[in-house]
Amino acid sequence: MITSSSSEMFVASPARQNRVTLRKTVISCALLAGALLLAIVLMSLIGSEQLPVRPSLCALASFGTTPCGLTRDQFDILFQIRLPRILLAAAVGGSLATAGAAYQALLRNPLAEPYLLGISNGAAVGTMIALIYFGTIEWTRPVLAFTGALLATFAVYRLARGRAGATPERLILAGVIVTTFLSSVIVFVTTLMDATRIRSFTFWLLGDLSGTSKSLLPIAITITVGGALALTLHARSLNLLMLGERDAFDLGVEVGRVRMVVFLVASLLVGSSVAASGSVGYVGLVVPHLARLSLGSDNRISIPAAALGGALFVIVADTVARTIIAPRELPVGAITALIGAPLFIYLLKRV
Amino acid sequence: MCAFLLATAFACTSHNAAQPEGPIARVLTDDAGRRVSLPVKVDRVISLAPNLTEIVFAVGAGDRLVGRTSYCDFPAEAKSVTEVGDTRTPSLERIIALKPQVVLISTSSQLEIFTQQLQEQNIAVFVTDPHDLDGVFRSIEHVGEILGQKEQAGLLVQKLQERDKAVEDKVKQKPPVRVFYQVSAEPLYTVGRDAFVTDLIRRAGGISVTADVPGAWPKYSSESALATRPEAIILPTGGSMGAANSAVTDALRQSPAALQGRVYKINDDHLARPGPRAIDGIEEMARALHPDAFKQ
Repeated sequence: MITSSSSEMFVASPARQNRVTLRKTVISCALLAGALLLAIVLMSLIGSEQLPVRPSLCALASFGTTPCGLTRDQFDILFQIRLPRILLAAAVGGSLATAGAAYQALLRNPLAEPYLLGISNGAAVGTMIALIYFGTIEWTRPVLAFTGALLATFAVYRLARGRAGATPERLILAGVIVTTFLSSVIVFVTTLMDATRIRSFTFWLLGDLSGTSKSLLPIAITITVGGALALTLHARSLNLLMLGERDAFDLGVEVGRVRMVVFLVASLLVGSSVAASGSVGYVGLVVPHLARLSLGSDNRISIPAAALGGALFVIVADTVARTIIAPRELPVGAITALIGAPLFIYLLKRV
Repeated sequence: MCAFLLATAFACTSHNAAQPEGPIARVLTDDAGRRVSLPVKVDRVISLAPNLTEIVFAVGAGDRLVGRTSYCDFPAEAKSVTEVGDTRTPSLERIIALKPQVVLISTSSQLEIFTQQLQEQNIAVFVTDPHDLDGVFRSIEHVGEILGQKEQAGLLVQKLQERDKAVEDKVKQKPPVRVFYQVSAEPLYTVGRDAFVTDLIRRAGGISVTADVPGAWPKYSSESALATRPEAIILPTGGSMGAANSAVTDALRQSPAALQGRVYKINDDHLARPGPRAIDGIEEMARALHPDAFKQ
């Protein structure tokens, strides 16, 4: 609380301007939330199996309480398979985009992204350990994924800090080092596993939402919403941090505490999404940039906008992944990378 | 020290020069369409797939098998043969050190680059790629011919064909049962058009609900699986894979097959290996799908 009140004084942002920002945040988030809801409904109507549109809409409107003339199988497809997967896609997308936006602000680096920094790989190693040693205990997966993501975050952060501070190039190099190191750990562990489990792992590593676990879904959604709110509350401090840690400190930001909160929350977001769906890449890069390009770089707007936009992005990407070669499926990570990699190149040229 | 190194280097080169042993007099075309030159008499063979190891033993040439993969666990005698690694990453060095004249490869283990490296060492590589039971018979005949066991291979194929015919006679009057074959539950994999299991299911009096899906082992959509409404579900499990894949995938929990208790666990080694025991797999599936046809 001290942070925000003191910073208000120093940044000299008049109350009127604050109200404008608030109004802009509310309007853009309301629009995005509307689009997200629309996407959830529309994408529920698309899949490898054809469902009748009107009864499906009616059943969705009743929140699954009345079948509205859908057969038992159609009802199960809609509510047991499609909708949980779409909701998980939303949670994963929201988590990764929020984490990406927060990393970019904190590290003052437009290329910071959970997947590219090796943080997703850290979470993946944690999940693998959970699957191998505690296969039956489901909650160990997000817990160890979170631990892995946190360790990878600290490793990258320490490696990136040079005498000249963490330059974008240094950060990306540190990310490459951590990523490749953890990739070899993953390769080593998969080599020790038997052949049948390898197949499921290689698919999962690319980011795959088909194994939606109903018991992890509520946890993933809670973490996404909670994490996005927590980071939005720190948005003002992140705005000041974008001026540089030194300046932010002079302006009254508790730099160490904010950094710790962002690392913890972002690792939690990445950990829960990786535990649920593997490493879906580039979401944390594409979405925050689009949010900033269209709404400006104020984190009070761009972080919640990235959360909603990320959910939207992965829902659409996963719908493509599950329908483009139906009834076969692609991993959603292949689709997000297909969109994200070219954008990354474009951004790299502008940095 | 230097002298020693030189000596070893020379030993190696002279050894390599002497590599093509015996006259090359036969040329066989393998399943990949490659023309493979083979020595007249093969005394040392390595198998890089469990089904091929089983075939080598079944045609009576097990004593000439000098290398196998870690998955080659049948028959029991196979386990005393030197291991050269698993099917995905066998050790090239160990294979060369075992001085095989022929290396048998199954395309399902995806070793195309390996083939190239072995050929550079003057080791003949024979690729098998069965897509149905007749393809399995062809593999047996090929291995028999390569190892000079043509007669035994012929007898084996004949015996297996008779068993297949016996099953066919029992089930051909029955309407085929619609089967979902679950390769793994999470992620959901099944068998497609190119898998030889699809043919085994048909011979056992069933029809795979995913028989038209392109590919051999497609990753399959859960909602499409639910919509297929299978009458029976086959879970290949309990063999060398252990207890993995012994539960039906969530999407099929309410399928007619699961509700009527028509979920059958069948030894995955009989179904996943295109070798002589595939007939056991057909017989086991036929008994499960058409129990009344097998009543005395």
